[in-house]
Amino acid sequence: MTAAPPESDAPEPRPVVPPALVAFAQSGCGVAIASSGADGAPILGLGVGCRISAAGVFRILLGETANPALLSALADGRPVAVTFTATRNHDSFQVKAALAEIRPASPDDLPEMDRQNALFRDGLVEIGYSPVQAVGYCVWQSDDLVAIELVPERVFTQSPGPGAGTEIAR
Amino acid sequence: MSGLRLDGLRRAMEGVMASVLATCDANGIPNVSMISQVHYVDPERVALSYQFFNKTRRNVMETRRATVLVTDPETLGHFRLALAYEGTETAGPLFESMKAKLAGIASHHGVEDVFRLLGSDVYRVLSVEAVPGPVVPLVTNRPSLLAATRRTCAALDACADLDELLDCTTACLDRDFGIGCSMVLMAGGEAGRLYAVASRGYPVTGVGAEVAPGEGVIGVAARENAPIRIGHMTREYRYGEALSDSARRSGLVADAPRRIAFPGLAAPRSQIALPIAEAGCVVGVLFAEAGEINCFGYEEEDALALVAGHLAARMALLRQETQEETPAEAMSPAPADGQLTVRYFRADQSVFLDRDYLIKGVAGAILWRLLREHLANGRNEFTTRELRLDPALRLPAHSENLDARLILLRKRLDEREARLRIEKAGRGRFRLVAACSLALEEPDAGEAAG
Repeated sequence: MTAAPPESDAPEPRPVVPPALVAFAQSGCGVAIASSGADGAPILGLGVGCRISAAGVFRILLGETANPALLSALADGRPVAVTFTATRNHDSFQVKAALAEIRPASPDDLPEMDRQNALFRDGLVEIGYSPVQAVGYCVWQSDDLVAIELVPERVFTQSPGPGAGTEIAR
Repeated sequence: MSGLRLDGLRRAMEGVMASVLATCDANGIPNVSMISQVHYVDPERVALSYQFFNKTRRNVMETRRATVLVTDPETLGHFRLALAYEGTETAGPLFESMKAKLAGIASHHGVEDVFRLLGSDVYRVLSVEAVPGPVVPLVTNRPSLLAATRRTCAALDACADLDELLDCTTACLDRDFGIGCSMVLMAGGEAGRLYAVASRGYPVTGVGAEVAPGEGVIGVAARENAPIRIGHMTREYRYGEALSDSARRSGLVADAPRRIAFPGLAAPRSQIALPIAEAGCVVGVLFAEAGEINCFGYEEEDALALVAGHLAARMALLRQETQEETPAEAMSPAPADGQLTVRYFRADQSVFLDRDYLIKGVAGAILWRLLREHLANGRNEFTTRELRLDPALRLPAHSENLDARLILLRKRLDEREARLRIEKAGRGRFRLVAACSLALEEPDAGEAAG
């Protein structure tokens, strides 16, 4: 399988995510993705990891088999939200965009997904998951990966507490 | 509801693995966040913890729809639940059950001061979808809770009196469920307090120890008439009595104690309390705890609730049988070997043996009545019936309070190895045995009279 580089067909990027959060999103976070169906109902999936280009394009990898409804909604041009959560302290932020492009996964995604996944698993064990639980929670298959690419239009803090939902950048 | 049954997903709703929640606003803009708690309510409903008025909350109020993803901690399978919001509960059994669980989860994650439950958002489950992906085969090498419940209930059926029944209950939790630390507490103490009448697995029995209404999982379970459990240690549900006693031992508090230390584990990580209820009225609490996390899940709660229910039924039946009791008869002189001074304080009905605190409240008043009659008339056999009918004792309506207090009194005398004890003397009858001569003092009698 071949894939375009992360930002190849992306619209003119407008990087709005602070550098610290760019690093945070690629540090082995839990990745949750949501969109909505034509009826307005929420659709939910888990991501494997994220690569962010210098131009601010978020390329999020996820399992294709596990997420047909989500991918179908995104293919239909429905809006997207992605939350990144650190396992160790539950720090979290969310990006939103009006649409995301679906791309094939690329072989050069895999080493980065391996790296982020290892960090994620370590974090889960640190907060009390057994090693088996940690591996099982974030298991993925390389031949089942697909990518979605989006340029965040709005960014919100999601860390637990009354400040969750505060907009960081727009 | 379509798809899988919610009942098969209860492990995924124990809060072991993180859950994820997605909502949308009226324009279909999604929002996705982690959620502390997805709670099983019934075969068609779940409740989500509402902790902050945030975007998720606003979306739910706008569209009344949500999707949540939960993970089975054993098979590691993910499940998506499509939800329709029905309403929010801010008090009552569901709220308190979730509040206790949340306190444990928050403590485990070090965010005790941030997580506070504002409400339990109840949702109807529209569909359950197993997310395709690899799963771990389920290991089923564990005891059957249904079989354990059946064995326990059969053992309770064989008990001849309340004393035996209560001790049998904690013994069966150990033998049949592998729960080493448990106790039974009865309602009806002073100011609505519960007091321990049977315990197992602790260095001291703690019989007579009291728990205030709303205090810890025991007090909340009694107040709400609902099972309450915690899977992680948390400050919020610790017992003030135990803390006070440790403070007293370390010299921080100097007043003479007129209470008995709560016997619970020093560092419990799992606790469960189940109301023992007769005709909807809480008459006691069955309590168990363990030093490991997440020991009591939905399945254990259901099994132990059945045990507590059966215990309540057996208590009611034994009470009926005891009411057909025979009057007391024999009088015999007590053997004299030294002297024991028993002091009774009317103010709180507390009894001291020489200088050692023994008991207070109704149990103290009962002992004082028995001792006075024993010294005045030489009687040493009594019936529960005569105590129940004695207006001076001002017993509450439920007569198991009397039986439980006699058990409490007997155990307190036994564990203090006092030269005074109470023995069973047949159904509804008991015997006061003094192995020494007795002197009775009432230091505050004058004050009370004045």
